[in-house]
Amino acid sequence: MIELQQLTKVFPNGRGIFDVTFTVRQGEVFGFLGPNGAGKSTTIRHLLGFLKPTKGRAFIHGFDCWRESVRVKALVGYLPGEIAFPEGMTGMELLDLLAGMRRMKTTRYRDELIERLQLDTRLPIRKMSKGTKQKVGLVAALMHNPEVIILDEPTSGLDPLMQQTFIDLLREEKQKGKTIFLSSHIFPEIERTCDRVAIMKDGRLMAVNDVHELQSMQRKLFDVMLSREEEVAQLLSSPLEVIHHDGRRVCIAVQGDYNAFIRELAQYQVQNLDLRTQSLEDIFMHYYDRRGDEQ
Amino acid sequence: MNVSLYKQMLKAQTKTIIGYSTGSAFYIVLVAAIYPSLADSKIINHYLQQLPSGFLKAFNITGMGNLLEFIAGEYYGLLFLLLGSIYCITAANQLLARPIDRGSMAYLLATPNSRQTIAFTQALVLLTGLAAIILTSAAAGFAADAWLVTNDALHQKRFLAINVSGFLLFFAISGYSFFFCAIANDEKRALSLSGGITVLFYSFDLIGKLTEKAEWLRYGSIFAAFEPGAIAQGQAEWLPSCLLLAIGVISYTAGIVTFSKRDLPL
Repeated sequence: MIELQQLTKVFPNGRGIFDVTFTVRQGEVFGFLGPNGAGKSTTIRHLLGFLKPTKGRAFIHGFDCWRESVRVKALVGYLPGEIAFPEGMTGMELLDLLAGMRRMKTTRYRDELIERLQLDTRLPIRKMSKGTKQKVGLVAALMHNPEVIILDEPTSGLDPLMQQTFIDLLREEKQKGKTIFLSSHIFPEIERTCDRVAIMKDGRLMAVNDVHELQSMQRKLFDVMLSREEEVAQLLSSPLEVIHHDGRRVCIAVQGDYNAFIRELAQYQVQNLDLRTQSLEDIFMHYYDRRGDEQ
Repeated sequence: MNVSLYKQMLKAQTKTIIGYSTGSAFYIVLVAAIYPSLADSKIINHYLQQLPSGFLKAFNITGMGNLLEFIAGEYYGLLFLLLGSIYCITAANQLLARPIDRGSMAYLLATPNSRQTIAFTQALVLLTGLAAIILTSAAAGFAADAWLVTNDALHQKRFLAINVSGFLLFFAISGYSFFFCAIANDEKRALSLSGGITVLFYSFDLIGKLTEKAEWLRYGSIFAAFEPGAIAQGQAEWLPSCLLLAIGVISYTAGIVTFSKRDLPL
């Protein structure tokens, strides 16, 4: 459905994206993961025809994203990464404008979305909070029932409850057979929604993996607080990978084998257990760097 | 053109357009209302005769002979230029440069409309506003003539010609402003380019009129193509107006074409 062939864009400052090639299949939820500045948005801007590739091409449904951009955009719903709306409008005026520009005939699905996201469309956009603006953007991206949905950092600004609503929405769209392409710099966000994931770093595509594969590759860090000081030494000599320890608190890295971890811990008096939030680099980049060194 | 976009953008511009239109209309009425009291004043005429001719020419004051010459000198010679130029530069900026700079253009471009369509629609909104301002000014002139000044009728045909010529001047100015907005990534840069060039043109025209030695400077100025005083005296020339039309058409076309082909930082 979405096809990138050696897509390359070199900006005057030498940065950009280089030889990005991958395919998103129809009906798939495809995650696009990478730290800020990795080239995710640049890639997405090519899909919308905002940028002309230096080399290579991008297609959606067989249409060239630069040369046949109008046909592409008839199929696509897009949520930009930066929230900036035209000035001086209420939410509803903007949605009406975009519906008019899309020559939409029915607003039934749009009204349903507004209802579900609990969006007050009467507010002038400049008075809306970041999360509310994001909802307006989401409605604008989904309201015309597009075949392909492209979302650049969709959950930024949404509170956890709304994030869940959003994930439910995506699942429904997937069930309708939509192709969904979404970018993020947060793995858990991708993990919950996507089937496959592409990882970008410094403008290059590092890998395209099945999300389950990635989950098994992921190294999680647990902070274990033991009740008894004397057990610390015992835990340190266990086969678990201990990153560091400080008094009764021990930090343990687990990759894939959660059962061994749980079995070992069952022998101790555990007072508290915490999962450490890690940056994307901590989770994956070490893996790719290592693999890169081996090659 | 996209009708929905046109309507919404025009609606967003309405307040500004009404502001400029009423301002312009009000000033014309004011000038027309003052005229009868000044027309017969010997002191003023005497005073005007004593001023250097270059100075009078510089501000398009050809005389106080009749109502039209007075309006042409007092309004179309200076304030009209200022008002129209500011509208052209700021409106072009709001309609094109700002949406590119702030990123809201992404929403418009995400709809299945070509960039040409969108740029053309924005240009049309800009020109609609301009037409509205000039039409209101002309209407105000005619109304003032009908109700306020009874003893000295306005030369209607020439007054109309001044307005048409004025529209063409701003068609050209808005044209190059639109072009700069289409090529710039940054709102401020677009504003400084179109504002800077306009100020430069105006200074060329002013210096050229003030000093005879530097009269050649006027050939480099777009403002030299608009001479309300000369039109008021019946010395209208067609060539400069045609040039303005050509500059406008070329720069709007160039703006739309460039906008359609460039990388957008959205």
